[in-house]
Amino acid sequence: MVAHARELDPYECCGLLAGTNGVVSHLYRIKNIVALEGAEKLSSFDPAKVAHLERLSPAERAEIAFVMDMQDFSVAKKDIRNKGLELQVVYHSHPHDPARPSTTDIKIATDYEEIWPKINLPIPAYLLISLMEKSKPDIRGYWITEGMVTQAHITTLA
Amino acid sequence: MIKVRIPTPLRPLTKGQGEVETKAASVLEMIEALNTAHPGMKDRLCDDTGELRRFVNIYVNEEDIRFLKGKETSLKDGDEVSIVPAIAGGTSCHM
Repeated sequence: MVAHARELDPYECCGLLAGTNGVVSHLYRIKNIVALEGAEKLSSFDPAKVAHLERLSPAERAEIAFVMDMQDFSVAKKDIRNKGLELQVVYHSHPHDPARPSTTDIKIATDYEEIWPKINLPIPAYLLISLMEKSKPDIRGYWITEGMVTQAHITTLA
Repeated sequence: MIKVRIPTPLRPLTKGQGEVETKAASVLEMIEALNTAHPGMKDRLCDDTGELRRFVNIYVNEEDIRFLKGKETSLKDGDEVSIVPAIAGGTSCHM
């Protein structure tokens, strides 16, 4: 996950983590397609964010936002199901900012709460990777429910 | 009738409705019917060549149409369709 974030730095990376019994065993990289024309209009960004993104170049957009390629997402979702795993985490990086959810992250996660059960997936935790200190990435997990953010407990297994 | 779940970013087109009903025998027909009732819908879902945009998924009864027959996927009375927007986010410090 840190390697993914570093490879795409200064652009935001995004992906999914899956596993069983609360233990992550699989990582799925998902393309960030925020630079594609119109992507910002179908991603629950608020109007102010859309207006801001539209003023930026594609490269600039990818430094401050991500939109998952839903084709990649579907392939990952299918693999997760075929392997008998559970989706556990949605992750993305903040190349220039702290590892905490932005107001945009919270709004979109809240909008998505009603979608997860409809596509047969549990509500995941959200993991953020901050690259503000390049040599010391900061990784933090959160639960986002009804617009409220609580820190998720993460343990790294050897 | 087919029940279609409309995600938040598309609700301005449906006057705020989160769910609409339509008659259609396939996903393609459903998109056309939605576009007639709610102009602008097709442009948000499909690109200029008519292909489904990569920042949206359509599920028929919880199965992604990309793994069925795409837009040719047939629909029957009582089916539930979910239009699902891309998972997204972004930093707000640069706003």
